[in-house]
Amino acid sequence: MVKRALHSMMIFMSNRMIACDEASYLISYKSDHRLGFKKWWSLKIHLLTCHLCRKYNHQIEQLNLAVKRYSDNCAAGTCSHHLSTKTSIKIQQAVTHELNAN
Amino acid sequence: MNSIRFSYLVLVLMPVSGSFMTAEKKHNLEPQYWVERYGDYLFNYAVVRVNDQEKAEDLVQDTFLSALKAKDNFLGKSSERTWLISILKRKVIDLYRKRYSSRESSLAEYEQNISDGEFYRNEKPFKGHWLDGKGPHSHSLMPEGELEQEELMEIIRLCISNLPSSLASVFVMKMIDESESAEICKEMGITSSNLWVMLHRARLKMRQCVESKWLK
Repeated sequence: MVKRALHSMMIFMSNRMIACDEASYLISYKSDHRLGFKKWWSLKIHLLTCHLCRKYNHQIEQLNLAVKRYSDNCAAGTCSHHLSTKTSIKIQQAVTHELNAN
Repeated sequence: MNSIRFSYLVLVLMPVSGSFMTAEKKHNLEPQYWVERYGDYLFNYAVVRVNDQEKAEDLVQDTFLSALKAKDNFLGKSSERTWLISILKRKVIDLYRKRYSSRESSLAEYEQNISDGEFYRNEKPFKGHWLDGKGPHSHSLMPEGELEQEELMEIIRLCISNLPSSLASVFVMKMIDESESAEICKEMGITSSNLWVMLHRARLKMRQCVESKWLK
């Protein structure tokens, strides 16, 4: 009984074996979605056996956080981009010209 | 009991009906101060999204000029700044579309196939495994607890600008604008599986770029 259960589990696992390309795709996919059971399981099994993808998983989580921080910083206006004085004068002139034309 | 409930309802509704009765403009436009007040803000918004100083400057100027032309359409419900940003946002998306459609091959390039020779092995016994040096090296992409560092923000900015333009636009729309996936697909005219593959590619490249920059 136990043997049979183990056997069918092994077959189930081996059917769901994926390579790093698919695993890394799922890692990226799961930052935006919930994985279904099949996908979640095959990723779990792959991560157990593959140290590179475990690193990849961790790094992508960090990357997502860092990009989030970057976008929050920029939304708060602390990004270091400023119009150069020359350009802002140029744009001001264009706006004034348009205003006067109306 | 009922009367208590009714008076409560009146209390709640009063301010709402009050604001309906005075339906005049809350905000007015003052175009002469636009550049001074919002120039940097709009420029910032544009630079983050198009990764090109000159393009961003043009977009800001375009935004002000189109806003002037459309100023009669301004209802005064939102602030000037929100209104200007919404115009700029349209312009950025138009630019993305132009970039995307100017490369007819781009769709074929991001076909559903997630495995490509750039990152993974193609030969049989190890098909789909990481190529040497293309997979991650260290456990952490960056030292833990250093998310705030300006250096890291600079690296992120640089790496986004190093992405191929169609990947960059999708990545920025998803991660920075936090747009809905359906909306991105509609704007760019791609299927959702194209979108996931493109995001996956973008993350692969971003990861590699950030890691290599940080190790230096």
